[in-house]
Amino acid sequence: MSGLPVRREGLQVTGLAKCYATTPVFENVQIELPRGRTLAVLGASGCGKTTLLRVIAGLEAADAGRVRLGGRDIGQLLPQQRQALYLYQEALLFPHLDVLENIAFGLRLRRCPERELRVICSELLAELELEGLEHRMPEQLSGGQRQRVAFGRALAVRPQLLLLDEPFGSLDAQTRSSMQMLFQRVAAQHGMTTVFVTHDVQEALRVGNCFAVLAEGRLNSFASRADFCADPASGVAQELAFWSQIASSAQVQQGPASGWKSPIDEKKRIPC
Amino acid sequence: MTRRAAAWLLSLIMIAPLLVLGLLSVAVQWRYPSLWPSAFHHRLWLDLLHDGSALGLAFLASGLIAAAVSVLATVGGLCTSERIARHQHHSALLRLAVLPFAVSPVVMALSLDYGFIRLHWAGTVPGLILAQTLFAYAYATLLLNSLWSPRMVALSNLAASLGASRRQLWTRVRLPLGSAVIGVCLFQTFLMSWFDFALARIIGAGRVVTLPIKVFEYFGSGDLRLAAASGLLLMLPPMLMLVLNRKGLAWPLAHEASA
Repeated sequence: MSGLPVRREGLQVTGLAKCYATTPVFENVQIELPRGRTLAVLGASGCGKTTLLRVIAGLEAADAGRVRLGGRDIGQLLPQQRQALYLYQEALLFPHLDVLENIAFGLRLRRCPERELRVICSELLAELELEGLEHRMPEQLSGGQRQRVAFGRALAVRPQLLLLDEPFGSLDAQTRSSMQMLFQRVAAQHGMTTVFVTHDVQEALRVGNCFAVLAEGRLNSFASRADFCADPASGVAQELAFWSQIASSAQVQQGPASGWKSPIDEKKRIPC
Repeated sequence: MTRRAAAWLLSLIMIAPLLVLGLLSVAVQWRYPSLWPSAFHHRLWLDLLHDGSALGLAFLASGLIAAAVSVLATVGGLCTSERIARHQHHSALLRLAVLPFAVSPVVMALSLDYGFIRLHWAGTVPGLILAQTLFAYAYATLLLNSLWSPRMVALSNLAASLGASRRQLWTRVRLPLGSAVIGVCLFQTFLMSWFDFALARIIGAGRVVTLPIKVFEYFGSGDLRLAAASGLLLMLPPMLMLVLNRKGLAWPLAHEASA
């Protein structure tokens, strides 16, 4: 990330620290994320990824450090004043509102005129392939549909920063993959600045264009995708080694003429 | 069919005492062994509508006091339970809310009475409202604590993140989602005040006359018609609220069940 030009509108985090009682969660976190980019933060469960996002969103207080967004210091602002939207692992739709009203929720808070609200919502419904589901209640939707509604609700208010906390963690593999593609498309279309935390290296590589690893309370940022892949902490090498081993053993068992093809060759063409 | 019969039986059990009380309040010369009164008179009910009727005034006073207690306790309980839920020592704080129920209401009322007399609050409507609210508020805090589940906290945080002000958090998220529990709380705290006798007797000091006090007075005097009428008045509003509350709660409860 340090190799990329940091425009004024992006996210800048300097010396951020947080501890619970005497146990430090993370310290001296530095982030420089240009506007319109997605920072994929990889980390094991319990490493402090969620806390990092919640601190940036203002849902938890930082012990030290500064957070700047769009050129202004947001460290002392309330969550509703930050323009940084934190999305949970679960879609967390409002159960008393239908799909349309869930998407329109943030717009109604801002007293958006009804006609404008309808236009924005219908565009988002079309974009997120939710047409025809406007009046369904959350419990009538599948997991993927709920996540799309949650995205729509976030996009409707055009936040300066989107903080995604393993948003596809509870979805099955197929839905997860399609949601990752949808996220890429929508993020590019809307030029969203996003911090996306995940414990899945494949997901990090799919959705991110900037990369960092959070481990032992330290956030290690990488200048490029190649650097991220080369770093042992990212786990990319272990992942590749695993699939290579699977491929080798399958070829040994069935022979080269068996027709079996390595998923690395066919599926995992993620440029490093 | 069995469920329907059970529902009818339950309704009958609930309505039968009201019918008997209603009959007793208009019966004239209903003596053993007659199965039915020899005459009826509705004069007593007409008298109730007149200004200055003791029973009518007691009914109005009870309604006013119970409504005030219900609203004050529920609003206070909502705010307090929310603060307690966010506090790091929330379990210890919640235990404090049990304290008013650890002592007999009569003993508590007598303890409060001393302070209320010194403050000149004894024998006043606001004094009685305050005394009853102390109990109802503690109860409301305990009951509404269930509202602050991790899910509700997450939804509130999300709404704040989407730009909701503190007022909007309440009007657009917390109150709609908690409507079922809040409705139950309003109902229960209303009943706590409506049926209260000990506090009304001690703190009211004979100057604030509520319906339960009148009921006891009429039953003691042996005037069966007045006792029946006051008993019926005591039972009617809770019954009505039960029916209304059931209809009002039907959607949220059904919704919660399906979610």
